[in-house]
Amino acid sequence: MPDAAPLWATVILPVALVSVAVVTAGFDAVLSAAAVRGRPGSPREVGTWAAAPLREAFRLLAQQPRRTIAADVALGRIGVVLVPVAAVLAGAVLPLGFRPVSDPAVGIVWFNAMEALAWAAVWLTGWGPNSALSLIGGYRFLAQGLAYELPHMFAITTAALGAGSLRVGEVVAAQDGLWFAVWMPVAFLVYLLSAMAMSFWGPFGHPLGRDTAGGAAMELSGVDRLVLLGGRWLLMVVTAAVSVPLFLGGGNGPLLPPWAWTLLKTALVLAALVAGRRLLPTLRMERYTEFAWLVLVPATLLQALVVAVVVLNR
Amino acid sequence: MALPAVLPGATQARLGVEAELRRRGWETAQAPAAADLLVVCGSPYPEEDRRLDTLLRTMSQPAARVDVTRPEHAAQALDEGFALLRDKAASRSESPLGHEDAAAGKHDAHPAKGTAPAGPAHGPHHEHAGPGHPGQDAPGGHSGHEAHTMSTVAGLPMADRAADRDGLSLDRLNLPLGPVLADWPAGLILRCALQGDIVQEVHVDRVPGPSDGTSFWNEPWSRAARGEPVERGAAARRRCAAHLDSLGRLLSLAGRPDTAARLRRLRDDVLAGAPSVHCGERLQALTKRVERSRTLRWGLAGLGRLSAERARQRGVTGPALEADGDVHDRLLTWSREARRAVRDFDDGRPLSTGRLIGPRGTVEGTVPPSQALLDVLPELLTGTELGCARLIVASLDPDLDEPVAVPATEGAHA
Repeated sequence: MPDAAPLWATVILPVALVSVAVVTAGFDAVLSAAAVRGRPGSPREVGTWAAAPLREAFRLLAQQPRRTIAADVALGRIGVVLVPVAAVLAGAVLPLGFRPVSDPAVGIVWFNAMEALAWAAVWLTGWGPNSALSLIGGYRFLAQGLAYELPHMFAITTAALGAGSLRVGEVVAAQDGLWFAVWMPVAFLVYLLSAMAMSFWGPFGHPLGRDTAGGAAMELSGVDRLVLLGGRWLLMVVTAAVSVPLFLGGGNGPLLPPWAWTLLKTALVLAALVAGRRLLPTLRMERYTEFAWLVLVPATLLQALVVAVVVLNR
Repeated sequence: MALPAVLPGATQARLGVEAELRRRGWETAQAPAAADLLVVCGSPYPEEDRRLDTLLRTMSQPAARVDVTRPEHAAQALDEGFALLRDKAASRSESPLGHEDAAAGKHDAHPAKGTAPAGPAHGPHHEHAGPGHPGQDAPGGHSGHEAHTMSTVAGLPMADRAADRDGLSLDRLNLPLGPVLADWPAGLILRCALQGDIVQEVHVDRVPGPSDGTSFWNEPWSRAARGEPVERGAAARRRCAAHLDSLGRLLSLAGRPDTAARLRRLRDDVLAGAPSVHCGERLQALTKRVERSRTLRWGLAGLGRLSAERARQRGVTGPALEADGDVHDRLLTWSREARRAVRDFDDGRPLSTGRLIGPRGTVEGTVPPSQALLDVLPELLTGTELGCARLIVASLDPDLDEPVAVPATEGAHA
């Protein structure tokens, strides 16, 4: 079993997550700008487009925060700050190569617990400003949680079942020969869907939807806004990255060192999510819940059953 | 980040601003909080003007406002806005006193009207946030919703209670949607009573608009009705662009921002007179993708069903009548009509003055086509979720540049 990483990894982790998030947001911005403005004229133009999220971050840093009347500032702040905090804490069990910052015996449970913090975070953010549309956005995320969380938990349970361990390191070790994504495709696909859902992004962006003028984030400005929206990208990077040890063999791979394989696989998953979001419209939860409970829950349960039978006969 | 506030009658100015924002790569904000530049399209009535100033005061500092009345002034206005913001940011960092003043003024101000409906505690107060009420005084008096006795928090009335659809007594808050709201018909205000996010009651209202009531989208047909010679090609281009505009709004709300952006770019090219072959190819590719999207159908089908029979009863004449169905059917109708219109781009024959059917229905009939669309709104929206209500409004896309009347007295300027 791999050892835990040295102490410096604790410092490196947030920096690495932020860097990957900036690159991913830049890629997303280029695709969006191409839709708005047509084909880019020069590589330089593409560079300008890719830097848009960074420019926006600096703009928000210069903006004075504003308050709404009778707002619960403390609660709202807690909600906003919880988003990146949950992301980084969830990332603690993320092995870069084979060494995570921490590899507890219940690593998968830890990851799931941290991402569930996002429920509280978005709801508090929506509640804080004392604003109707913002509150509606917050509640939408609870409805979303109700829809995605069960299939999601069955999906990660399936990976743990396949390895016979809740330790992320052992899940990676169990995929030495065959990736879990290959023989647990349903669980893997459901996991990718919930990666977008828990970072309330893309087709699952309804809590921050345009129809509510930004939903839970509607009243946020300045640093608050930066922390929430930045935290959202961090959450997405972390959940996408965790799919690598859970389903894509972690750092296993020929030629390249394990950390490079981890990074490469993470990048591919993120690229798939950024491109894939453009194929789906925003999912309204009254429709998606039906699909999640009638199709995804039975499908993931069946998947878990198949894996359980295989494991028992091994 | 710019926040466009579009007034009735300012469609051309809006198109100019949108094109200019796109050229610069500036993003459009969804709500005042994120924005720093308020771009007012059109010339507001004094009352509306004061409201917009109040809105500006509730935006995060530094913030500035510019007005655009003609599309060709958009570039200059945005330059000015940028300079204003730069100056404000500079002066703020120089004098800490100015900084505090700004903050204090902002703290007192109401969190914007329309788009920034503040919380469960706010209720009816919102309806007249703005003009005479920069502070948090006097919750009563204007809106017609405050027949109840209210306790107040921070000077704001508490939410009221009423029976919901299951007969439970639940909080009910009055929330105006619009007029400054992304992907929203210019000038429209829907005064909704919400329980949770279910729309219980809707009153249609509008910001006071121009008295001449000429609509940019109906222009070719209006001119033909007055006996002026209008080429069929010009009318077809206008129809196509109008549908692309509506489609852009609907798809943006439905969560397909990239497709919406492509449709809007195509809309501007169609209006600018791009060759019909070129437009036709792009339109074909885009609309095919939209029409075939199963996920889009899954998301939109069943919402806001308006049968042809019911539509005819209410005087609806345009695509909404022809669609004879839900939000998705109306989307398909726009898409098909836009593609059909492209074929007539090069038709130089004059528009016949027999049946003048504009993008939203019969122009110069007994009532403007958008009037009928506004009239069906309350029955379609009542009982829907807020998100669905937004989609239904976008799928009808009433054009308040037309001389429509609303029941509320304060909106009866048109």
